[in-house]
Amino acid sequence: MAIRLTINGEKQVFHGDPRTSLLEVLRDTFRLTGAKDVCGEGFCGTCNVHINGEALPACLRPIGMLEGAEVTTIEGLSPMGTFNAVQAALEKHDVVQCGMCFPGLVMTMSKFFETNSNPSRAEIKSAMTGNLCRCTGYELIVDALASIAHERGLVQ
Amino acid sequence: MTYLQAQNNAVMDYPRRDASDKLRGRTKYTVDQGGLETLHAVLVRSEVASGKIIQLDAKAALEMPGVRGIATSVDAPGSHGLGIADHPIFADGHVRYHGEPIAAIAAKTRRQALEAAKKVVVKIEASKPNLTMAQSLAKDARLIHPDWEDYEILYDGAARGGNIAWEATVRRGDTQAEFDRDDITVVEGCYRVGRQNHVSFEPRAVIASFEDGRFHVITSTQVPWTVRHVTAKVLEIPESHVRVTVPPVGGGFGLKFDCSLEPYAAILAKKTGQPVSLINSREEEMLTCLCRENAEIRLKSAVTKDGEIVAREGTVLMDAGAYGGEQVFLTTMTAHTLGGNYRLGAAKIASQAVYTNTPPNGAFRACNGVYNTFALERHTDEICKAIGMDPVAFRKLNVVGDGSLGATGQVFEGDVLGPMLDRMDVLISKDSPAEVDTSEYLYGRATTVGTWFIFVGPSAATVNLNADGSATLVTSGVEIGSGTMMQSLPQMVGADLGIHPDNVIVKTADTDASGRDLGVGGGRTTVSIGAASTAACAEVRDKLFEIASELLQTATNKLVLVNGRVEIAGMAGSGMPIQTVIAEAEARNGPIAGSGAFTAPGTPAMPGCAAGHFIDAIDIPVFAVHDCEVAVHKETGKVSVLSYRVVQDVGRAINPRAIRSQVQGGVVQGMGYALSEEITINDKGCIDQDGFETYKIPSVGDVLPIDLDLFEGAPSAGPLGTKGAGEVPILNVGASIACAVANATGKKVNELPLTPPRVLELMSEDSRSLDLEHIQSDWEKNVLG
Repeated sequence: MAIRLTINGEKQVFHGDPRTSLLEVLRDTFRLTGAKDVCGEGFCGTCNVHINGEALPACLRPIGMLEGAEVTTIEGLSPMGTFNAVQAALEKHDVVQCGMCFPGLVMTMSKFFETNSNPSRAEIKSAMTGNLCRCTGYELIVDALASIAHERGLVQ
Repeated sequence: MTYLQAQNNAVMDYPRRDASDKLRGRTKYTVDQGGLETLHAVLVRSEVASGKIIQLDAKAALEMPGVRGIATSVDAPGSHGLGIADHPIFADGHVRYHGEPIAAIAAKTRRQALEAAKKVVVKIEASKPNLTMAQSLAKDARLIHPDWEDYEILYDGAARGGNIAWEATVRRGDTQAEFDRDDITVVEGCYRVGRQNHVSFEPRAVIASFEDGRFHVITSTQVPWTVRHVTAKVLEIPESHVRVTVPPVGGGFGLKFDCSLEPYAAILAKKTGQPVSLINSREEEMLTCLCRENAEIRLKSAVTKDGEIVAREGTVLMDAGAYGGEQVFLTTMTAHTLGGNYRLGAAKIASQAVYTNTPPNGAFRACNGVYNTFALERHTDEICKAIGMDPVAFRKLNVVGDGSLGATGQVFEGDVLGPMLDRMDVLISKDSPAEVDTSEYLYGRATTVGTWFIFVGPSAATVNLNADGSATLVTSGVEIGSGTMMQSLPQMVGADLGIHPDNVIVKTADTDASGRDLGVGGGRTTVSIGAASTAACAEVRDKLFEIASELLQTATNKLVLVNGRVEIAGMAGSGMPIQTVIAEAEARNGPIAGSGAFTAPGTPAMPGCAAGHFIDAIDIPVFAVHDCEVAVHKETGKVSVLSYRVVQDVGRAINPRAIRSQVQGGVVQGMGYALSEEITINDKGCIDQDGFETYKIPSVGDVLPIDLDLFEGAPSAGPLGTKGAGEVPILNVGASIACAVANATGKKVNELPLTPPRVLELMSEDSRSLDLEHIQSDWEKNVLG
């Protein structure tokens, strides 16, 4: 079966079992390994990608349901040499540790900041709830993300 | 450069250089590697916890589509272990735990390998498993290793017997004489904790190939040299036939401190002639993870009315699971974690690794110390209650200080814990106590202390000075996320050579390129590899100065390295760029390189009082003081942490921001251990929690910012006075929360984790006391030797 979709702006065709998860297709077929396979059941958020403009876990999406979909992965989020505001804040505040959870977190929070450019700390935490991390203890990530609004002069 | 200058120049909030790629998803962990020719392997695992294999037939599986090779115990004749070689990598005719590997299959795709695995015929004559330590220690208990006396002994001196894989004991002084005194109060308590899964986000993973007659193992490990050693041992080949390299590791926490999947992939690579990738599924990680062990503890103390601890006896049972593994080594730690914190008169301490028919356990951040600190601090509060003394005052009176004896008779240097308690007073005084609605919640607060140590031992480093003035640091260090390889080592080498850390290239671990090393864990990397690196830099510096001395007509002791130049001390601009000296050196002698080594300094303990220990005394003790406030919901039993404060001994903080990050992460991991991370084992011997839905690690909604005060200046053998800072933050989180919950509820808190059902149960009973009947109150009856 052939599934046609757009990944990071390029038209792609997947030939195979339509039950295959998007995550498996991204990692194994297209060698886009930025999205990580951590829990496999939609709990940790590390495989989050943008599907038709929403940040969603790729592990729970069968490729057969994505005919014609627009998918953006962490590799396609910002051109090499540039960072979006979320990536820039996380780098500047030096909060990355093992790093496995960050691709998914960046995808979630990038989409969140598109819809809320001046979030409160509580709103940031609420948006992050579906993204688990085992290293950082979260708070310094929240500090980093809260700085985005500060630096834009949009402090609540 | 003088020592003082190096100290000052090393200190900075140097950002990590791997963040950019990690934020772009470009970092290639082991799970992200492997080419088109790479085969995919899976393990066939036992579905019973105990039994004899009466049939194992893989013929049908070998004929399945895509299958290229299958391995079983005949392919891996050797056994491995720490202390005793009791662990074959495939079940050797007997299965001893649910999930034990029986065969390994490599196929073109993982799905094909999984399909083939279903065709492997395994018939097991099941026997009743020992699922608890009490079952294993019962008088009529079935032996899990009937041939235990025949196993190869790798480390002499421990008592062993029956289902006790290893016993470490301390006997210092006459405890009985102290307990017999009529002026003391005896306090006795039992404590129990469950297992904790590391949940490193990258699962254990390996890609192995067989190249030019040698194995190349690319693996997600903290211990490349252990992987080399164990792979060679179980394959019965020379260690030099194994090369181990390590990409960035997606989390370790001690899970990857042991060799695990590597030998299976290596065997299959040789059999198939192709690279083989073996990656644990999340379910496999949850069910067979080398968890922090469950433990059972009995403590008994004799205390005077003035609060002097004149005697203490302690027995700790550590569940090794089906094989001794790291628990054998970790029995050593009990002497230093239960025997730390407080000055003791006489002491008897026993620590036993007990075989059960459950998945093997392993090391986990502040291994052994986390639950012993929980038990010790709860016990301390119970002592305070019994003699009517304020818990903080008791701690200030009794914590180890300069000249205090440790459990094995080691003499501690420096007053550290006492001043740290004073610093905690200051930290607490900055804020008002949290406000809670007492109609709904019970409020509690506690301050606890903790003692752990830096795990030192052998490390090696080479520093190659490059023509452009940069330096390449070659070690077996691994970046597991803590930032040591990305931050502290470049900072130290940069400071030693007078160059910016950006100009220090850090080579990823490769056992063909770097010297032997014990691995990344135990807070040791900054200390041990750091010290080896500093020694290597000293050789480089000497070589540079020898040349520069001639060029500048200045004695070597007047030269310094600063800002990429060799300068005459105190005269900026008087010297020359380091590149000029390197060029001259190359013309005369060849490129400049230095090598350095470090090992355990060796701290004396009292002769003859400790048996079965791998470490009789601790070279670099590390201390922590934690304080927390909690609210316990009266109706649901849910514990909320309202505030959390840490004063941590870090020796010298060369990257305060990185340490803050480690402390925040470590405390949150400890909150999971204390409150939500619960593992249960069902009657089949299988762990119930098979994923993130059933095993609850903290999420962002469960945490709060940690208030941190870094305590600097305590004695340390580490370079620049450093101590590893990543291991210790988890040490007394369980203890602090448990003591605070006990203070809130007025109940005896003897078990972790404090899940809502357990707290509700605690609150609903008038008087609750845990009695572990299989641990005798008479200490001598518990021990083998």
